[in-house]
Amino acid sequence: MENKTLEVKVRDEKGKSASRALRREGMIPSIIYGHREPVSVSVSAREFNSKFKIISESIIIDLNLGKETYHCIVKDYQENAMRGTITHIDFYEIEKGKSLKTHVPVHVEGAPLGVKTGGIFETALHELEIECLPKDLPEMITVNVSSLEIGQSIHVADLKDMPGIKFLTPKDALVCAVVRKKEVKESGEGDSGEAVVSSSVQSEE
Amino acid sequence: MLSPKRIKYRKRMRGRMRGDANRGNKISYGDFGLMALEHKWITNRQIEAARVAITRHIKRGGKVWIRIFPDIPYTKKPAETRMGKGKGNPEAWVAAVYPGTVMFEVAGVAQDLVESAMKLAASKLPIKTKIIIRRDYEAQDD
Repeated sequence: MENKTLEVKVRDEKGKSASRALRREGMIPSIIYGHREPVSVSVSAREFNSKFKIISESIIIDLNLGKETYHCIVKDYQENAMRGTITHIDFYEIEKGKSLKTHVPVHVEGAPLGVKTGGIFETALHELEIECLPKDLPEMITVNVSSLEIGQSIHVADLKDMPGIKFLTPKDALVCAVVRKKEVKESGEGDSGEAVVSSSVQSEE
Repeated sequence: MLSPKRIKYRKRMRGRMRGDANRGNKISYGDFGLMALEHKWITNRQIEAARVAITRHIKRGGKVWIRIFPDIPYTKKPAETRMGKGKGNPEAWVAAVYPGTVMFEVAGVAQDLVESAMKLAASKLPIKTKIIIRRDYEAQDD
């Protein structure tokens, strides 16, 4: 897996107003931390959004800060839920040769057999927690679901062992399943709570 | 219809709704969501109408999550009643919805079908809404 690169700038002024000014200029206030001293930086929002459609902890990014390069993963990010814009990024600097605990997205491959016969495919886990060396870090964990029939499921224990990767998510956790379509009752009749309200209305009138 | 099983007090003060949603503002379960863009009380009838609109349109395929719960009782005085004589009677249950709240989520259905279902659901609600998609949804389909 090739590392992606990003140009970052050191940000001297911190705080609410300085961060807002940066965002107005099209930058994202960020921080780099890990085994060295933390550095406050800023990244171009346009560059970040074009390179990272999916933000995942499993992508190693080379951050170029002047002459220095930081090998990082996106540990966390904050976004404006209404606008969908990223407001802050936490870059976690990884140490080569030291194992890393991180979350990797699950990529579902194939069309399940059960869906063709009327089942519904459900993904229960979108991410898996793993522990591995940075060199072994997979971009995603691919799960082939083409053989799944109605009532069948895939758990973490069913996933293929990958060299150098230890799954930290519990083995009995459900990853995905094909379930039968449920008959949904139309309009809940005789709900106890509703009855309480209507009876109280009657009693007081 | 949705309503609490048990409540401590039958009548409540109305309160004031300010600011955006800090919780429940991201897609947690499904691939698509219906996000509120305004503050409003949403009644259990409106929630039920929206849910029925979604499930009927997607022909009971996929899975639907309701992310809001109407746990606030609201009161109303009977028609042609003079003011005073105490607070009105409990009328229905409402959920307080803030801008950014994800009210419904859907998974396991094609995007165009979900979009039309969400549009129908939005028309049952008294607020402006928008449809949001999980950030990594398209990548999973590739």
